[in-house]
Amino acid sequence: MTELMMASLLAPVAAAGLTAALGWSRLSATVTAISAAVILFCSIALATRVGHGVHLAAGGLLRIDALATFMLIVIAVVALLATVASIGYLHTELADGHTDAAGARLYGTLTPAFVAAMELAVCANNIGLIWVAIEATTVITAFLVGHHRTRNALEATWKYVIVCSVGIAVAFLGTVLLYFAARHNGAAAAEALNLDVLMSHAGALDPAVTRLAGGLLLIGYGTKAGLFPFHTWLADAHSQAPAPVSALMSGVLLSVAMSVLIRLKPIIDAGAGTHFMRNGLLLTGLATVAIAALLLTVTGDLKRMLAYSSMENMGLIAVAAAAGTTLAIAALLLHVVAHGLGKTVLFIAGGQLQTTHQSTAIADITGVLQRSRLIGTSFAVGVIILLGLPPFAMFASELAIARALAEANLGLVLAVAMTLIAIGFVALARNTTRLLLGAAPADAPTICPPRSLAFALVAGLAASLALGVAAGPLTDLMVAAAQQLEGPR
Amino acid sequence: MAPSTFALIIDFASGGMLLAAVLVVWRRALRSIVTLLACQGLALAAIPIAAGAYLGDTALLLVGVAVLALRAVMLPWLLRRALAAEPPGRRDATPLMNTASSLLMVAMLTLVAFAVTRPLTALQSTTLTDAVPTAFAVILIGLFVMVTRRHAVSQAAGFLLLDNGIAATAFLLTDGVPMIVELGVSLDVLFAVIVIGILTGRLRRLFGAADLDELQELRD
Amino acid sequence: MTVMAVVAGGAQLLTVTVGAPLLIGLMRQVRAAWEGRGGGGILQPWRDLRKQLGKQQIIPRGTTVVFTAAPLIVAATSILLAAIVPIVATGSPLDPVADLFAVVGVLFLGTVALTLAGIDTGTAFGGMGASREITIAALVEPTILLAVFALSIPTGSANLGALMATTLSDPGSVASLTGVLAFVALVLVIIAEAGRLPVDNPATHLELTMVHEAMVLEYAGPRLALMEWASAMRLTVLLALLANLFLPWGIAADAPTLLQVLTGVGAITVKVAVLATALATMEVFMAKLRLFRVPELLAGSFLLGLLAVTSANFFTR
Repeated sequence: MTELMMASLLAPVAAAGLTAALGWSRLSATVTAISAAVILFCSIALATRVGHGVHLAAGGLLRIDALATFMLIVIAVVALLATVASIGYLHTELADGHTDAAGARLYGTLTPAFVAAMELAVCANNIGLIWVAIEATTVITAFLVGHHRTRNALEATWKYVIVCSVGIAVAFLGTVLLYFAARHNGAAAAEALNLDVLMSHAGALDPAVTRLAGGLLLIGYGTKAGLFPFHTWLADAHSQAPAPVSALMSGVLLSVAMSVLIRLKPIIDAGAGTHFMRNGLLLTGLATVAIAALLLTVTGDLKRMLAYSSMENMGLIAVAAAAGTTLAIAALLLHVVAHGLGKTVLFIAGGQLQTTHQSTAIADITGVLQRSRLIGTSFAVGVIILLGLPPFAMFASELAIARALAEANLGLVLAVAMTLIAIGFVALARNTTRLLLGAAPADAPTICPPRSLAFALVAGLAASLALGVAAGPLTDLMVAAAQQLEGPR
Repeated sequence: MAPSTFALIIDFASGGMLLAAVLVVWRRALRSIVTLLACQGLALAAIPIAAGAYLGDTALLLVGVAVLALRAVMLPWLLRRALAAEPPGRRDATPLMNTASSLLMVAMLTLVAFAVTRPLTALQSTTLTDAVPTAFAVILIGLFVMVTRRHAVSQAAGFLLLDNGIAATAFLLTDGVPMIVELGVSLDVLFAVIVIGILTGRLRRLFGAADLDELQELRD
Repeated sequence: MTVMAVVAGGAQLLTVTVGAPLLIGLMRQVRAAWEGRGGGGILQPWRDLRKQLGKQQIIPRGTTVVFTAAPLIVAATSILLAAIVPIVATGSPLDPVADLFAVVGVLFLGTVALTLAGIDTGTAFGGMGASREITIAALVEPTILLAVFALSIPTGSANLGALMATTLSDPGSVASLTGVLAFVALVLVIIAEAGRLPVDNPATHLELTMVHEAMVLEYAGPRLALMEWASAMRLTVLLALLANLFLPWGIAADAPTLLQVLTGVGAITVKVAVLATALATMEVFMAKLRLFRVPELLAGSFLLGLLAVTSANFFTR
């Protein structure tokens, strides 16, 4: 098991090294895509073997359990789609002169490094190491967001780096406080940051200190997940980054940050009582959904619209995490994978539209369905996925979350969340119809997606459909993860 | 080392950190702010070095020396390089809050820090943990500086204040985190400041000045 | 209350009343030495006072009893301070009253009397000086309270005599962070309260830069002599307070002998002379702050005083 884990961690690092040494070319990009496939293969292999067990590796630093394996699969799938799309995306950019060889090499090196950092964040057993990995994602993606050297991209990068670094620093403070509480309780110095050790001491941790730590951790990792009120960087960063990077950030980085919160919640609950994190997550979650829904109604930018939709979904995930029952967490995980897939397809299609029109304003882009069957259909299906319509998985996950909230006596929360999601639904649908339907203006540029991009789109759609129809193999994994998170073992 | 000497050193080190933070709010010239950050790094490094000498823990001593190299030398040097392109003696554009009100705000933040960290000192009252409120005050002052300054390097200085305060809290509460985490944290902070330095250079090239009020394009 | 204690109190009063103009003379002489001038000699302020006492009494038209009474009140508060604050001995006859709050209150009473006199003259400069003085006083008074309060927390008593006795028995209590912060805050407020550079320039002749001088612009003759002498005494008392709070060696105890009283007088003379020299030297190298920067400086000293109080409260020994 450890070998599979190490292979999945080292594959993208090797791809990054290769691109750094040789510069970007179709070959190095294909190698990166192959490394993502390696991660997928390893994570599926791990999933079949892990069951309900927890396997610690690298002297207690790494942890292989159901949640880690699940998140690895999500990362792998989104990374595979994004890296395959990147091949065509960067090739077109280089051909059109929107970037140079140095920029392409930076992109090619940083993207697999980014994927590796995310993997470390979900597989680490030491919460200090989790922190290092999440901070590394911020630093690595800084230059990815600023890939297009425009004023807007620079503005987005600055906001992103500053807000996320501050948030992450606050999360580190929370980590230190948790470490202090555990050490005070008698845990050994080298081990008190390990999740398993923290779980075993969780019941006896000082409540006031745990509350302080929990609040800080919620603020810190909530910033990275785009929860209110530290969401200000999200729309800017996700809209200015190149499309495959936006797909990675929106599709899976936010979920990784949320997964860290989900991992820490049982510890805080045991130490400070269940009401603290529950109320905190509910408050920020609902506020995030509200803000996102309202911003969806006013935005006129394609990628910002997708970013706000990500925010909305993260808010919903936070609310589900607040409920905390097995059903809620399993539903939440299904939501994560479905959202990841759908958002990736949307961002890749949206990226192609951006490349064609050199603009992301919805007003500038109309009649897409008429001009390109592939992009139009992909976008339409992607939005249908996001809207939570059957037969796609998000329908099932939202239904399950609703049921979980009702069972957890959060009926009022459910009602408010559903209303806000309905507002978002309408706004999203309206913008999409403006984008896709209608006659194309006579001077509209032709949309010709590169082959790899088309391949990624089709694969993504197929995977979403497969997930929606038969989530079976993953269900056991999700339920196992949920059960492991129910309380300290 | 006698316990009272140790208490005195910790007293002065954490007080020195707080004083450096106060002076960063007071002074507006960018070069003096960077010098103050270097002094604060010195005061910060004194904590693990003194604790290592007092407890006889050589690992902690080495960590202290590494912290000295990083936070008193490297990071201020990186910021000074980011400043190098500015005309000499340039002061910050008027911050969002005038100096007198900022200082009174800092007074209030110090009191808030002492109130918030009450559960920590109540849990374990040793020489080291009693200085935690001061480190926490530095964190709040760092956040305040980030929010009220308009120059890119001032925001970076605020971020470093925040980070120094958090590092001090880690050393005061727990004699530092495990080595691998400490390594990762130091590397991350280093890279973050490098990134900020590069971004400041790009800002200056694209916008003409590193004044953050120019960043107004992205909105709905 | 022994006879010796009364003698100590009397010696204290005598030292301050006689020595205050000498202190001003010393500071001017130090400045002259630094600036390469000959200077007027240490006794020059006494010669000025004698000259002014012999001049004609002039009262501007339109002023009220406030104008005529103010010099008396300022002088009275200064003498009262000289008697209350433990300068030569901690067991002076007025020791029960030597409370921090009483001292600050008396100090402020003198400031207010002077300010009202400035307004009473009805001139533009008088009003300007008065408003500036009150702005400064508003930030200075709380800071004095905070700084001395920070020192009194370890002692548990706000009585200045008890404070100094504690510092005598445990010198380490002022060599702490609290002590350093309180010292810096007190130095800043003494400079502001006594109207020295960089807050106010006592030697200026440009009315628009004046703070203290503007308020006494209309005084002449004996009243002016009284005002100058009272200001000199305030500065002396404040410097003596600073010296005794942080370096109380030499101060006579509760029931002093004659030798101890004499030692006390000698010690305080030396300490205040050293502080005055340092202050004068600092003034030579500093320019006056622009007026709107002064609240910044005073807010900073207030902050230092507050930090001194919090660190005294929370750092256990």
